[in-house]
Amino acid sequence: MSDQNPSSQPMLNVQIDSVWHQFPKGTRIIEACEQAGSYVPRYCYHKKLSSPGNCRMCLIEMGFPRLGPDRKSELGADGKPLINWMPRPQISCAQDVAEGIGVRTNSPLVKECQRGVMEFLLINHPLDCPICDQAGECRLQEFSVDFGTSQSRFLEHKVKKPKNAVLGPRVTLDDERCILCSRCIRFCQEIAHDDVLGFVDRGSYTVLTAHPGKELENNYSLNTVDICPVGALTSTDFRFKMRVWFLKETKSICTSCATGCNTIIGTREDVIYRQTPRENDAVNSCWMCDYGRLNFKYLEAKKRLLEPQIRREGKLVHTDWSTAIAQAALQLKQFSGTEIAIIASGRMTNEELWLTVQLAQSLGTHYIDIVPRRGRGDDILLSEDRNPNTNGARLILGSASEPGANLLAIADAVKSGQIKALAILKENTMHLGVPLERLAQLPVFIAMNILSNEATEKATVVLPACGFVEKRGSMINGKGRLQRLNRAVRPPGNARDDWEILRDLIQAVGGGDSLLSIDDVFRRIGETVPQFAGLTFSKIGDLGVQILQMEELPPTHPSDEEKIEQAVAIQARRRAVRSEST
Amino acid sequence: MADSTSTDVPAELKRKMDEAISRYPKEHRRSAAMPLLHLWQEHFGFISDDGVLWIAAKLGLQPINITELVTFYPMFRQKPVGKTHIRVCRTLSCAMAGSYQLMENLCATIGIERRPHGDGMHNPISVSADGNFSIEFVECLASCGTAPICMIGETLRENVDADSIADLLRNQTSNIKHRTSPHPLEHRLIFKNIGREDWTTDIDCYLRDGGYEELKQALAMSRSEIVDKVKNSGLRGRGGAGFSCGLKWSFIKPDEKRPVYLICNADESEPGTFKLEGILISCFALNARTAYIYIRGEFPEGAKILEHAIEEARQHNFLGRNILGSGFDVEVYIHRGAGAYICGEETGLIESLEGKRGYPRIKPPYFPAVLGLYMCPTIVNNVETLCHVKHIIAMGGVNYARLGRPNNTGTRIVCVSGDVQRPGYFEIEVGAVTIGQLIYEMAGGLKPGRKLKAIIPGGSSAKVLRAGERFKLKQKQPDGASIEREMSIDEIPMDFDSLAAAGSMAGSGGVIVLDDSRDMVWALNNINEFYAHESCGQCTPCREGSLWMQKITDRMLRGGGVTEDPKTLKSIGGNIAGRTICAFGEACAWPTQSFVEKFPEEFAARAQKPVPPALPPEYTPEELIEAESIQTVPMAHDPGWEKAGAAGII
Repeated sequence: MSDQNPSSQPMLNVQIDSVWHQFPKGTRIIEACEQAGSYVPRYCYHKKLSSPGNCRMCLIEMGFPRLGPDRKSELGADGKPLINWMPRPQISCAQDVAEGIGVRTNSPLVKECQRGVMEFLLINHPLDCPICDQAGECRLQEFSVDFGTSQSRFLEHKVKKPKNAVLGPRVTLDDERCILCSRCIRFCQEIAHDDVLGFVDRGSYTVLTAHPGKELENNYSLNTVDICPVGALTSTDFRFKMRVWFLKETKSICTSCATGCNTIIGTREDVIYRQTPRENDAVNSCWMCDYGRLNFKYLEAKKRLLEPQIRREGKLVHTDWSTAIAQAALQLKQFSGTEIAIIASGRMTNEELWLTVQLAQSLGTHYIDIVPRRGRGDDILLSEDRNPNTNGARLILGSASEPGANLLAIADAVKSGQIKALAILKENTMHLGVPLERLAQLPVFIAMNILSNEATEKATVVLPACGFVEKRGSMINGKGRLQRLNRAVRPPGNARDDWEILRDLIQAVGGGDSLLSIDDVFRRIGETVPQFAGLTFSKIGDLGVQILQMEELPPTHPSDEEKIEQAVAIQARRRAVRSEST
Repeated sequence: MADSTSTDVPAELKRKMDEAISRYPKEHRRSAAMPLLHLWQEHFGFISDDGVLWIAAKLGLQPINITELVTFYPMFRQKPVGKTHIRVCRTLSCAMAGSYQLMENLCATIGIERRPHGDGMHNPISVSADGNFSIEFVECLASCGTAPICMIGETLRENVDADSIADLLRNQTSNIKHRTSPHPLEHRLIFKNIGREDWTTDIDCYLRDGGYEELKQALAMSRSEIVDKVKNSGLRGRGGAGFSCGLKWSFIKPDEKRPVYLICNADESEPGTFKLEGILISCFALNARTAYIYIRGEFPEGAKILEHAIEEARQHNFLGRNILGSGFDVEVYIHRGAGAYICGEETGLIESLEGKRGYPRIKPPYFPAVLGLYMCPTIVNNVETLCHVKHIIAMGGVNYARLGRPNNTGTRIVCVSGDVQRPGYFEIEVGAVTIGQLIYEMAGGLKPGRKLKAIIPGGSSAKVLRAGERFKLKQKQPDGASIEREMSIDEIPMDFDSLAAAGSMAGSGGVIVLDDSRDMVWALNNINEFYAHESCGQCTPCREGSLWMQKITDRMLRGGGVTEDPKTLKSIGGNIAGRTICAFGEACAWPTQSFVEKFPEEFAARAQKPVPPALPPEYTPEELIEAESIQTVPMAHDPGWEKAGAAGII
């Protein structure tokens, strides 16, 4: 954050490896060195956590300006201050830069310190790299290459510690690999506010653990695996599944709530192996919640819709895409706008929502809305709004009321029989409060979704679509930041990218013009939605663009959710009465 | 919450716990964790899992916060002990006086088969089959002058005879004796009254001897006057580093808004009640309203005496509200440690006082005078240093500075142990006595027929000095000029600067004498075992290095020394010293570095085996790249192998 507004802070002169640089006040020495191109190795230091200074890997030589008799710094031949070097090495992770200080990151003393610490860290380490999940992204390995030696002088027995210790439902610990840097403990105390980990015993026998009977089970537990610099803390889900160097890394965002944590999706040959947070200070710092992180498994579920289907003689049968699209268009066109409703999703991208609006316009319907989705939030990252793109729906659906506010009216219209054709896109009808039997009676019921459910079973046309890792697109998070989704894997079977399905459908119902790529769609949004003007996918970048100030937005209506819940409750009561009477 | 456990906690214990909690600021209840653990253990004998949960709930903490403490402090036990629990000191002075034999004899008498401590510190306690006795080796019990020592229950037993175990177990009273008459070379200030016939530890005795007079004087002075007196006195810290006390005090800003704390570091010795008055004067000078005395857990008697002294002082209004009508309020509390050497380090002590593991803090930024206890300005002074404050007020700073030598003022308590005829404590003017005088005159010389081999002059962490070495020391003359003199070990004066110039340090004032019967590898291994056990484990070099050094010296002792060992030992020491969070790094590295350096022949003699070849063979990347140009010779043509074959070796 400090480099975002450098002008407001005084700049300090710092000599790093004989070159003078300027840094704003408050810059950590270790960060200053990195910015100057002299990376200082570290284990315990993490810029988002407190600095205990315990690993001693970031030792550097440091000096202060040499003062003359007049208490002013003496200048050398180059006109720059001369430096008095301190005899003892200093850690660079706990001190900020000061005016005129000097730092050496690669002197013989510093190298000797680094070799010494590396040797100490490895003497009791099991060196089981071939079967260690961290191999390939392990700081011990990396720094061994850069700062260590190739030999060991250690002839003794290593200290034995617990292996395969289950710390919680999602984290497994190998204590012998642990270098006791305390990052995980500090993370739990300082970020997750769940002081559950600690060190027991002493000296070289110190062991990381949770208290017996207590588990590391908070919703942020897997972040400890990310920040563990070695292979001690491992994700129980990812453990032994894939060597990390085979993983293709795709930058994307999490779509499990409105926070939109930035992520890296690790995949190999169209299989997702893990999702890890990607640093973005405007969104999620370096973290993400376990719920969002693991919320990709459903994409591999047995219920995954793999083929387009149409109802023929009362039964859903597989078909090809052109038939399915033609059939859907034909069915929809039978009715007038007042008889058609579209229920879209707050999980759809801006591009998909925009195309949905185009479809609605082609069909002449005004019945269009998304399903609000709420849950309990926390004060860390998880938002109450579990839709990742409510703000996108706000802008693109362009309705005067809150997203979701029309839902009850649509449901009533379906129930009353006014609506003859319903298209439900990426949503589950159970949120609608319309009984399944009523949906089954609809002459036209088009379902575009990822997984099959009770409602898709009743559809007249089923369109298998993509999950968030299988497509490109953009979303606007709860704080008004426009961010990009990227495709990490190809969709399975004959499932298709949502925007293509929608585009083809629009063309089949006779509206729209040629849109060749999703970039075209994005450009078209910019023509109608002022906040998108001038932006392109590439301009969004990896870290997103702030396009909404949240004051501009109408306040959310907590009553929406209550209304829906009430409706669902009433519905349930009626059903119960009916089943009793029959 | 607190009652959700199945253990029944009696009301009296609860009351004591509430009283302990009240000694710490409300927002820092966590500080009471150690006192509560002590109370629990005193009542139940050990700290059960229930105890951990109960105390955690009581203090609003997580159970892990308490487990961290129970496993860090060796005095806290997680399993029951025998009806009589025996702790035998195994550290150097006691080991030299036969504590290993004592342990063996004790085990034989009470019927315990002690497991060899294969995995170091895990559950070191062995219990006899009938449950009547339990025994453990502990690190230094701080009475090296009367080695060997052990604690039977809570009673310290000194000068124990390993051959009369039955007497030892039968007689349950302490046998502590103080020498009555000072040696002519002593200058007793702090120990003035110790050992006198009518001397007692109550306040009436103290008042008869003019106690608290200086407090009255000090309260009439301005704060800066007192600080100036201390500065002028040249008083240097008695803890180990020898830092100027006045300078330390001047780090506290006179207009400090946050509360100021004074901590008396009594994690080691125990020299009488003067310290309470010294603490009160110091509190006034520093405007500190709260002082904590951090006393070693192994001194239950000392803690009781102090509690009593505080109570008496309160009754006489020497502490409490508006002391002696001065308008100054001050409270003094005792905080007992639990057997962790690292808590003698001032920031480790502060962490411990905050109810955490005694992990020293990084400096900068956590200099105690700026961000100390509860992140408030804090002065941590050694108990002996604080004792001197009273005398500085009485004598005046300048007069006090006349004691001792320039820059090495005042008196100092030294404790001589090891191979001398009369080990014990001596209070000397700093630098007025040489090492030779100390050993041969005050401590009665070496045992008959023995020759001096080595001296560790300032506690086991000080670098060893070898007999026969010649030292070149610069000495300040009374006229201010300094001349360099070459001298033998006997001629070195016992003061901060001379010992530093000789390449060692005055440290804690514990002088350990080794005669020519001692094996230096054995001695070093004993010291290394101490440091490996006491390393807090927070930072890498000390945590890993201290145990590694111990494993090497242990292997050497058992006949497995390889030729590289002395070199490896020295380089491990070099990789620790100066690179750790606290001075423990130097403390654990210096003995190894100096022993190997000064007694190379003894280490070489125990390091005869060839270094085993590395398996698998290791190459540098460059060597691998050049591998093609390396000539490979078939093994049969290797002349070495042929010769070996002819000799029938292979």
